Amino acid sequence: MIYVENLKKEFKKTIKDPGLKGSIKSFFKPKNEIITAVNDISFHVPKGEILGFIGPNGAGKSTVIKMLTGILTPTSGKCEINGQIPYKNRKNYVKEIGVVFGQRTQLWWDLALRETYTVLKEIYEVDDENYKKRMAFLNEALELEDFITSPVRTLSLGQRMRADIAASLLHSPKVLFLDEPTIGLDVVVKDNIRKAIKAINEEENTTVILTTHDLQDVENLCNRIVMIDKGLKVFDGEVSDLKRRFGQARELNFVPENAESINDLDYKNEFLLNEDDLSVENNGVSVTVRFNSDMVSVEKMLNYTLSKTHVKDINVTDADIEEIIKGIYRSEVSLDA
Amino acid sequence: MRKVFKIYRPFTHAGVLLAAQYRINFFFFILGDILRCFINYFLWHAVFTSGGEKTFAGFSETDMVVYIFISFLTSVIAYSDGSYAVGEEIRDGNIAMRMIKPIRFDLAFLFQELGERLITITLIFVPMMLGVEVYKFAVTGVIGFNILNFILYLFSLILAYLITFYFNVCYGYSAFILKNLWGANFLKDCIVGFLSGGVIPLAFLPPAVAVTLNLLPFASQTYIPVMMYVGMFDVPTIIYSFALQIFWLIFFIILQQIIWNACVKRMSVQGG
Repeated sequence: MIYVENLKKEFKKTIKDPGLKGSIKSFFKPKNEIITAVNDISFHVPKGEILGFIGPNGAGKSTVIKMLTGILTPTSGKCEINGQIPYKNRKNYVKEIGVVFGQRTQLWWDLALRETYTVLKEIYEVDDENYKKRMAFLNEALELEDFITSPVRTLSLGQRMRADIAASLLHSPKVLFLDEPTIGLDVVVKDNIRKAIKAINEEENTTVILTTHDLQDVENLCNRIVMIDKGLKVFDGEVSDLKRRFGQARELNFVPENAESINDLDYKNEFLLNEDDLSVENNGVSVTVRFNSDMVSVEKMLNYTLSKTHVKDINVTDADIEEIIKGIYRSEVSLDA
Repeated sequence: MRKVFKIYRPFTHAGVLLAAQYRINFFFFILGDILRCFINYFLWHAVFTSGGEKTFAGFSETDMVVYIFISFLTSVIAYSDGSYAVGEEIRDGNIAMRMIKPIRFDLAFLFQELGERLITITLIFVPMMLGVEVYKFAVTGVIGFNILNFILYLFSLILAYLITFYFNVCYGYSAFILKNLWGANFLKDCIVGFLSGGVIPLAFLPPAVAVTLNLLPFASQTYIPVMMYVGMFDVPTIIYSFALQIFWLIFFIILQQIIWNACVKRMSVQGG
């Protein structure tokens, strides 16, 4: 369905020296620097999958999406979607895809929302009957009814995003690209949008590629994630896989009966682990111990703690995906298998 | 061809709605243009009354008045926002939103602008055209309206508009390189205004200059249609002028396509 092989994109960037002098100098004699935004990325997405594309700001996510949607031409490498090459024969290719860029809108800013859909209907040559069916479906999934006659500029961000997603789905695309579809939205709207994406994916087997910074999106929607950082792919696999591979971290929380008894606990000297594998945080009421369960078992940790102190409450939790990803973003090393 | 119209017609519809959306803005804009037109009129009126001569380079005062108003109308109709709109979309990166649609960039803009133009035609073109004819009648006492000249004018005007449009689109693409076109646009409008005969008839210029300017695409944008209207061209000149206009139109359509293809390959989208 989607094949990406050794995709690479370089940008030329003009470097300016600071100040007016620098501006004038670079006006006459620009100095260029080549920046590699995407470096040698490959992945494959089967039909009907929801792929989460994650990475810190500036990792190159949007650049990849722009290449996959035919807006940018790759410097080298190949991508093929539905058997077509996006940047060749763009007009034909984009008929089969839907795209939403969370930070931009494809709606006509000054016109009533409905007008945008009429324009799109003609552009994609959707016939009247299909259009009616489609609008009814999108209306139900995204609740557009309340504001479909309002000018787009008067819509709230949440309404606009729903309207944008509907606009990208009007022609029943085979592949849907969502670049940060939940950016800046409140919890309820986010939830609605996730449900709608899920419904569309299930109903029509639409392949979805989604970039996001909200890991709830990933956990709720994605079967699989591809993580990139600094233009390189650092992880490709299922969400549970990520947890298994990088999720040995556990968190022990307890509330001691007697605050002073904490002083008897000396995890560092007991287990002799470095900062990355063990850290202790004490806020005066409760204590949090983060540890790597590969290095010291949960049982040992609990035994040691309970032998030294009496507790009012105690629990051990899995590190959530957010923690894992934070750890990966922070570490500079590539975690390629 | 019919399919093209079917796909792009909604853009025209949207263009009409957009122009109607900002009515006040639109009227102020036009009002400013009309005022400039009258300043021009009084200027030439002073020239003719103080000069003592009845004609000036073949133009009587009545001819001149007609020229001023018709060239104004022509430049209002054969005006294009293309360079501004294209440049702006490139500058803020919204061009990406057009590229994800199965449409031709130039045609979408063209049809949208035609919608805006429809409003200009009904609100300004028709009334002012009538006004000019009434003026001619009041001064000369004969109905000077020549249907043949008018038809020639309309054809020439359509060509002039398309030339202007594609010229401006080409120009707008330079935003891919310059990133911000505001200043460059201003300069362009001034230069084109003069070179196209919108300010003074090209016939008033020294022959060598006039001949050169006539060949340039700018003359095709205003001067040629106006001369068709006032009926100052003989038949060979009419045929020659149409050929010239068609040549420039094809030239800019091809140029636009070449620039677009080149730009898309090395495009970077600004802002996220």
